[in-house]
Amino acid sequence: MWVRALLCFSKTLSPPPPSPSNFSLRQVPLFSIQKKKKQVPLSLSLSLSRGGMGTSVQVTPLSGVYGENPLCYLVAIDGFNLLMDCGWNDLFDPSLLQPLSRVAKSIDAVLISHPDILHLGALPYARKHFGLSAPVYATEPVYRLGLLTMYDHYLSRRQISDFDMFTLDDIDAAFQNVIRLKYSQNYHLSENGEGIVIAPHVAGHLLGGTIWKITKDGEDVVYAVDFNHRKERHLNGTVLESFVRPAVLITDAYNALNNQVYKRQRDQEFIDAILRVLRADGTVLLPVDTAGRVLELILILEQYWAQQHLSFPIFFLTNVASSTVEYVKSFLEWMSDSIAKSFEHTRDNAFLLKYVTLIINKSDLENYAGVPKVVLTSMASLEVGFSHDIFVELATDAKNIVLFTERGQFGTLARMLQVDPPPKAVKVTMSKRVPLVGDELKAYEEEQEKIKKEEAVKKASIVKVEEVRATSSHLSESTKGDSMVIDPASATASPKGSSHFRGQMDILIDGFTPPSTSVAPMFPFFENTAEWDDFGEVINPDDYVIQEEDSNHMVVNGKSLDVKPDEASVHLLLDSTPSKVVSHELTVQVKCALLYMDFEGRSDGRSVKSIISHVAPLKLVLVHGSAEATEHLKMHCAKHVCPHVYAPQIEETIDVTSDLCAYKVQLSEKLMSNVLFRKMVENEILWMDSVAEKTNEKVLTLLPPPSAPPTHKSVLVGDLKLADFKQYLSTKGVQVEFAGGALKCGEHITVRKISDSSQKVTYTQNSMTAAVSFSCILIDDLCCLQSGWDWSSTDCY
Amino acid sequence: MASVVTGAQNKRPNPNSTSAAATREGDQLIITPLGAGNEVGRSCVYMSYKGKTVLFDCGIHPAYSGVAALPYFDEIDPSTIDVLLITHFHLDHAASLPYFLEKTNFRGRVFMTHSTKAIYRLLLSDYVKVSKVSVEDMLYDENDIVRSMDKIEVIDFHQTLEVNGIRFWCYTAGHVLGAAMFMVDIAGVRVLYTGDYSREEDRHLRAAEVPQFTPDICIIESTYGVQLHQPRPVREKRFTDVIHSTISQGGRVLIPAFALGRAQELLLILDEYWENHPELHNIPIYYASPLAKRCMAVYQTYINAMNDRIRTQFANSNPFDFKHISPLKSIENFDDVGPSVVMASPSGLQSGLSRQLFDKWCADKKNACVIPGYVVEGTLAKTIINEPKEVTLMNGLVAPLNMQVHYISFSAHADCAQTCGFLKELMPPHIVLVHGEANEMGRLKQKLVSQFADSNTKLYTPKNCQSVTMHFSSEKMAKVIGKLAEKVPETGESVSGLVVKKGFTYQIMAPDDLRVFSQLSTANVTQRITVPYTGAFEVIKYRLKQIYESVESPPVEETEVPTLIVHERVTIRHESDTYVVMQWSADPISDMVSDSVVAMILNIGREGPKVTPIEEKTQEEMERMARKVVHSLMVSLFGDAKFGEDGRLVITVDADVARLDIKSGEVECENQGLRERIKTAFGRMQGAIRPIPKP
Repeated sequence: MWVRALLCFSKTLSPPPPSPSNFSLRQVPLFSIQKKKKQVPLSLSLSLSRGGMGTSVQVTPLSGVYGENPLCYLVAIDGFNLLMDCGWNDLFDPSLLQPLSRVAKSIDAVLISHPDILHLGALPYARKHFGLSAPVYATEPVYRLGLLTMYDHYLSRRQISDFDMFTLDDIDAAFQNVIRLKYSQNYHLSENGEGIVIAPHVAGHLLGGTIWKITKDGEDVVYAVDFNHRKERHLNGTVLESFVRPAVLITDAYNALNNQVYKRQRDQEFIDAILRVLRADGTVLLPVDTAGRVLELILILEQYWAQQHLSFPIFFLTNVASSTVEYVKSFLEWMSDSIAKSFEHTRDNAFLLKYVTLIINKSDLENYAGVPKVVLTSMASLEVGFSHDIFVELATDAKNIVLFTERGQFGTLARMLQVDPPPKAVKVTMSKRVPLVGDELKAYEEEQEKIKKEEAVKKASIVKVEEVRATSSHLSESTKGDSMVIDPASATASPKGSSHFRGQMDILIDGFTPPSTSVAPMFPFFENTAEWDDFGEVINPDDYVIQEEDSNHMVVNGKSLDVKPDEASVHLLLDSTPSKVVSHELTVQVKCALLYMDFEGRSDGRSVKSIISHVAPLKLVLVHGSAEATEHLKMHCAKHVCPHVYAPQIEETIDVTSDLCAYKVQLSEKLMSNVLFRKMVENEILWMDSVAEKTNEKVLTLLPPPSAPPTHKSVLVGDLKLADFKQYLSTKGVQVEFAGGALKCGEHITVRKISDSSQKVTYTQNSMTAAVSFSCILIDDLCCLQSGWDWSSTDCY
Repeated sequence: MASVVTGAQNKRPNPNSTSAAATREGDQLIITPLGAGNEVGRSCVYMSYKGKTVLFDCGIHPAYSGVAALPYFDEIDPSTIDVLLITHFHLDHAASLPYFLEKTNFRGRVFMTHSTKAIYRLLLSDYVKVSKVSVEDMLYDENDIVRSMDKIEVIDFHQTLEVNGIRFWCYTAGHVLGAAMFMVDIAGVRVLYTGDYSREEDRHLRAAEVPQFTPDICIIESTYGVQLHQPRPVREKRFTDVIHSTISQGGRVLIPAFALGRAQELLLILDEYWENHPELHNIPIYYASPLAKRCMAVYQTYINAMNDRIRTQFANSNPFDFKHISPLKSIENFDDVGPSVVMASPSGLQSGLSRQLFDKWCADKKNACVIPGYVVEGTLAKTIINEPKEVTLMNGLVAPLNMQVHYISFSAHADCAQTCGFLKELMPPHIVLVHGEANEMGRLKQKLVSQFADSNTKLYTPKNCQSVTMHFSSEKMAKVIGKLAEKVPETGESVSGLVVKKGFTYQIMAPDDLRVFSQLSTANVTQRITVPYTGAFEVIKYRLKQIYESVESPPVEETEVPTLIVHERVTIRHESDTYVVMQWSADPISDMVSDSVVAMILNIGREGPKVTPIEEKTQEEMERMARKVVHSLMVSLFGDAKFGEDGRLVITVDADVARLDIKSGEVECENQGLRERIKTAFGRMQGAIRPIPKP
């Protein structure tokens, strides 16, 4: 014992040689800037924040707190406004977007986490009506599947109403400025977002689903909603647990009160429920989303059908079904490891579907009217779309079943049917778009004609004004083109539109307005400067090519994006035959079976709690969940995770700026060349004594201390697991066993672990003699295991 | 006991000798080509910095077979490599991977892109099947390839990964599907390895990206040296014109090409050309490669790794579902009745289907052979580029070479202009050239030297196994956080705390904050020991007072039982008549104190009650004793030492005289060396006499 003790001593005693300290003194101004910021002039506050710490973070929910409304939150990081998700609900209720409309213009970037309406539905509308013009960041699948989801919703709405919140062009425009990222790609924002790095990470739940990690000055803000830690058929589990100790975690309380059954059991029940109905000649209706959870359901069905060699037909019916699956096939790198592996080995693409038939028209189902079948179709809400129509047809027959795989959104038909007990009958509105006939058609045509004329004339004049302006300013340059050729639009419009137009505007000829710069109206003069070569005038062969006006072509051209919706949508798009919507209400007797099973692919309450406590954020913000769930999770986390748990109301701004102090120092070569780190899991650690020195303007340098530093209290680092320790001891030939929560080593020694805020390990030795020396070994072993025992005061010699 | 001592020593090797040297060595960045140094083939570049080791690529040399084709793996210890990065699936970049993974003691992690991994599997299986070498010469077999698949991890473009403190991510390289350029960041030093790259966008691939950050070192290919490529449209037009004119004259076109990579590009060109020329629709195009056919699924899937053009087309239909091209299994299935276009492997016309067709068609002057890429020296393809009058057929007969031979390169390597442009945009301070014949590389070096004449750029062209060494000063920045950072220290003030190093970031914090800022936690070990003792408690107190300066005994009311606290560290409680309980929180000094206390108590027990007169030592006596001890120790150390008149100890060594003030420890001496020695010696003596600092 003495030997050991002395050995420790000799180390603490040997004094380090005095080191020269000829550096000049300096100090860095590093202090909390947050409070000062308001008082000091701007320039000063900037320099302070650069040198110092404390990235300011504010969170303002715009929608989706204390309830299940769409998700939309504003996160301001040092004045840079990030919009986390931009969701809407299936009913497209504009009143939900009021808070967004007030801040839309000030937003600098939009980060989207999942490709469904609740996370990105409001993008086109906000862009069109609120002037939301910031770049949007999303993963490739979120972008692609989100776009298809929007198409599907638009087309479904359009079929039964004069839906005018946004158009297909608005959707395209909104998605055009999406910047697509890969998982764990660190994207450095520029301009006023300088210094902010955003990175998407795997969230599970939906294909491409994202947890956003936003980093500034080494502080992480993690936005993780709707994640799923379970690995599924087509998706990997979330990597949220690998983010430890972020400054702020924003997460949802959606599932805080729900617990799930085992996956295998649930899958079996799901299949059993379906087969029972099919074998009794019934039809199974699965109202699903367009391109999200449905993928998992398709794989479950495919797999089971293949195993059991079943022949019941399965249909996947959305407006964009075939495009969806075609794209999903090319997203293998975003899916689970097992899917990637099977492709690498056998080149079998999991989404090369063998049993599921993709259809985009409800009429395709007519051939299978009486046949037992499974139909997966959008919308999950049953409000509109194919699912709505098919539900009305199926509901009256007790043989059939409507199997919900997700909770219906609030206020939708699906939600109404999910209550217990289900309603006996529901009122639905059946709407249909029918072509106009007779007088209506005539009236419509006349009106259209009038509008067209006006528009053409207006457009022509605008075009001309611009053209003239352009040419007049460039008159000196030789314009090669055909500026004398009258714009075709104005040419066709002029004979009809001239009469009522002439009176209104002070112009001489249709389609011509004097340039604003000219004093008096004059005809523009354009010099015809055709180029000539040895063979005569130079022509452009393209001018003489006869353009093929095929419909397909036009769509592709007309749409600026590289996505072609399926034919149905093309028809609808091009469908210029005037039509109107006819609706009638009817009451449907709900006789068919109704069943809800949770295939939402979100972590359940218990897992959410354990994940949050593992992540252990310094500050936690809870959003999106019913009031009870939010309160429940808030209480839980405040008790077990961290004291700073916030659950703000809509438009309530909370400041989650971290209040920790920090400053930067340079570790001098002299100091670091003589130290020895000890490995601890992923970290290396040591105790350091040093002396601060200011070498130049900003840098504070740490040098080895000139004299022996005062002794400090020893620090034992590491988390000892008694089970590991037991194993370790038994390899050393020590008899160990657990008794009453403590580890009994031999007869005399007990090791007990007391976990409180500062961890404690207690040894109790009850009797004496041999036990003493033994205990020393024991403790030393313990130290070896933990390897963080810091024997001496400093590692500098 | 002995084990304890060695244990402690193991934990703390002498830092002066080993770690200092290691740190200095760690600042050195070493790059060693194990292959592809002044040659084309068997790409393999070793890089090491700060004890972290990365290997780029793991290829074979196509001109050699067996072990000779491998890079010089013996130069390195595979077990030290942390990360192995494969840029693309070509044999000269990936084919020694199964060997390296399965037959060496490599234990690191290996990464490649998704599409590279999928094709790697197919390509190497095919390679193993067709390479005709004896079983002993086989480097690996199919099973090794399958096993290696489980060890290979995938990385997506731009995805940032971190292994062992090495951060790396990859950019599009534009050479073949899935080809990547790797950027590696070790402790802030960035190294870019381009692999094979092309800065030209073609029909399906994106051009190589220019990284956002300038690397400190750029390891770059130099295959084409100072040569320049013809503009793409010109090459494409030549290609289609040759084919069009040949078939319109009723001839047949043979395109010998490697199954993967360029072949897909040529097929896209042909398919598009046929699409635009309806008059050609009755002329069949075949591609005769079962391997390419198998790989087509990969091309059809990883559309997102390709360029926007392909992705736009994909919206309408999969561009790799060729409309005018049909696969051809073997020459037996080939119905050679009229004009046709056949793309067949191998590219060198050594054997196989392309050679069979060549033999069949070479005598007819209507036919044509288009060689679309880099041809290796010594193959028939290389020979016929020079258009000899006669060629030797596979059956040994000599036949006249009447067919037209065209060499139109579609090789997706950067040419001189691209390389210069790329480097000009990046402006790396160090450029290492690899993957080029010595001559080509030399010329490119000259060219680059003149281009970067006025900057500080350094160029290296190492041969295989020749190391390039660079030094990077390591400026370590740390962040002081938490309680420790509440006040910024002035100069001269000390900063003490735990340094936590994760990867290459350092944080300094107070022990209490460890739980807050890291996954680690601090713990206390509280030791409680029950020692049998039947004597009077007062005896213990008396004995302890003889040994320790501070022995407190708080009033019994507070503690219920008689208690002693030694140096505010160890608590001794007299809980029963038969034993005492000691409790302390473990740390080196407390352990020592408690050990001695235990020994003392046990000795009392053994010796039995023994009355010793109480003899209070005064402070003065203590001092006197200390003086005596110091004096005698000094005598034993320096010989001549006696107390001077002023109470100071006068030590005379040879001619030097030193005066030591025992109270303050100050030494007065002319000789610097002696003074230091005495000071150190005195310090140690003080430590021995008063080991326990007053708390």
